[in-house]
Amino acid sequence: MSELARWRKYRWQLISGEAFDPAMQMALDEVLTYRVGRGERPPTVRFWEWTAPAVVIGRFQSLRNEVDLEEANRHGITVVRRITGGGAMLTEPGRVITYSIYAPPELVAGMSFQESYAFLDAWVVEALRALGIDAWYQPINDITSANGKIGGAAQARRHGAVLHHTTMAYDIDPEKVPRVIRIGREKLSDKGVRSAERRVAPLRQQTNLPRETIQEFLIRTFAERHGLEEGTLRPDEIDEARELVRTKFGTWEWTAILP
Amino acid sequence: MHGEYKTPGGKLVQIDLDVVEGHLRNVRVTGDFFLEPPEALDVIAGALEGAPADASEEELAHRIARALAGFPGRVELLGFSPEAVARAARRALS
Repeated sequence: MSELARWRKYRWQLISGEAFDPAMQMALDEVLTYRVGRGERPPTVRFWEWTAPAVVIGRFQSLRNEVDLEEANRHGITVVRRITGGGAMLTEPGRVITYSIYAPPELVAGMSFQESYAFLDAWVVEALRALGIDAWYQPINDITSANGKIGGAAQARRHGAVLHHTTMAYDIDPEKVPRVIRIGREKLSDKGVRSAERRVAPLRQQTNLPRETIQEFLIRTFAERHGLEEGTLRPDEIDEARELVRTKFGTWEWTAILP
Repeated sequence: MHGEYKTPGGKLVQIDLDVVEGHLRNVRVTGDFFLEPPEALDVIAGALEGAPADASEEELAHRIARALAGFPGRVELLGFSPEAVARAARRALS
């Protein structure tokens, strides 16, 4: 089956517009993954809007190894832990583009995990190239470009569904990141010169376009390539996510599960 | 004790552990790798618990691989491996 035929087997639903706080974003990812896995909602793509800045750490990262909590506090940055692996990232309202794909496992059947990362972000790479950016997928999970890294993805296979979410830098202040996120010494040694190799090339700098224009173009690319219908979060989905914030994602036990 | 190893083209593994009477204790494995299901992390760290502090990298990797093979259901490691965890552990110990 061709790549497009795989996508087009489903009626994709779009969720976008409403902004949520960081813990709620984590909770919505779990709720929507679960719902798609149980067949209670169609395969869905959600574009995130943030109400507050956050450091989002990976499921398997040590909280204190990764985050300078005092510094995060001083900047009013919430620290949350997501259910997917991968590395820490800084997000600020209006300064990143983040989306989640909640899909049946059949969408990526027969692919290795690594192949599925590139497959699930291929429409984004295509859109960025159409915007004039020399972008490509850098395995395992990075969207990068001739000017530097643009974003990264992470996945979880849970509750009978695939969760794939990606954050791209739109207008991140590169000075701010190392103040709150510690970068392992070993990681630097492998990547060589940090300033060159790990340089982030935000989309604003590469396109001069407003964030909304880029996001709308991404949505249009998805729609033309895969088909997409407007959808909304249901009140019971939001309620379930709020409850998960209370019992899990908003708790220190979860955030510091690996202290 | 703390050790780190980054798989070339892959992810960073960090290990924190103590050595009590010649054996590894309180082993904690963290990093920016991908692992399914997440519960398998306890299996990886647990496989090193009690290992002799003078065990070779190969022996440590073998303990992890054996423990993962005994995990019910399929385990997927992406961006790291039993060998990468073993190397981080050896670095913590040296």
